[in-house]
Amino acid sequence: MATERTMSTTWRGTLMDGAGTIHEAGSGAFGALDVSWASRAEEPNGKTSPEELIAAAHSACFSMALSHALAQAGTPADQLDTTATVTFVPGTGITKIALTVRGTVPGLDEEGFVEAAEGAKVGCPVSKALAGVPEITLDASLA
Amino acid sequence: MPRIVREAALTWEGNVARGAGTITAASSGAYDALPYTLASRISTPEGKTSPEELLASAHGACFTMSLANELATAGTPPERLDIRCVVTMDEVEGKGHQIVHSQIDAHGTVPGCDEAGFAQAAEAADAGCPFSALIRASATVGVTASLA
Repeated sequence: MATERTMSTTWRGTLMDGAGTIHEAGSGAFGALDVSWASRAEEPNGKTSPEELIAAAHSACFSMALSHALAQAGTPADQLDTTATVTFVPGTGITKIALTVRGTVPGLDEEGFVEAAEGAKVGCPVSKALAGVPEITLDASLA
Repeated sequence: MPRIVREAALTWEGNVARGAGTITAASSGAYDALPYTLASRISTPEGKTSPEELLASAHGACFTMSLANELATAGTPPERLDIRCVVTMDEVEGKGHQIVHSQIDAHGTVPGCDEAGFAQAAEAADAGCPFSALIRASATVGVTASLA
């Protein structure tokens, strides 16, 4: 079964001097978010950016995939804390995503956790969609 | 050019079917602890976001900036651009769930630019947008463009 999610953005003016708004999420989960080139390429100053949203999407997808794999293996997680850091080089593109995960998983050793995390990194739908990123790293360990 | 780094921080508690997580914009603080679950991801959202909704936000915002740049470079800076992005995830035989398509629909108010010029700029924006390049690893990208 296919699922669709829709988002809209409005931009006024040029890239360097203009500014944009990402409209309220179709789900209602978040309201309008401001974006600008300065906040994307320099300091965020409270504004999000495509790279921050990719970091959110990737870490959310990875967390779900890992949670699923751990439950399938008979060792469901109590808690997973995941961070994704996306690196953007203007003129080159998105060059790196660094995933870090700490897990509380009763009955599972370090080796088993790292193996499950590696599997989630390769298998999650967002990882597959972003397979063109030159470098995706993973730092996984039990909490 | 300097490398630009943006970070998100996530928590997840419990298994995938009945557990739940939160998503926080760690670099900007623009949003904090957005809830998400498997149910809200694959069926109706019920007020919760999902990786695909965030991808639609990221792709839409990235394409929009790229298009603003193309139009200004062509000597016709936009007054206003309205972009809609739809991301589709589907089960692909033998491959499980995949992000299969991202559809961009662009409308613009651009003084001095005709339909053909706008369509051309939208095509160039897709070619130049870092996110369009990435998502093509598993998805197709569709672009429609028309002046408001």
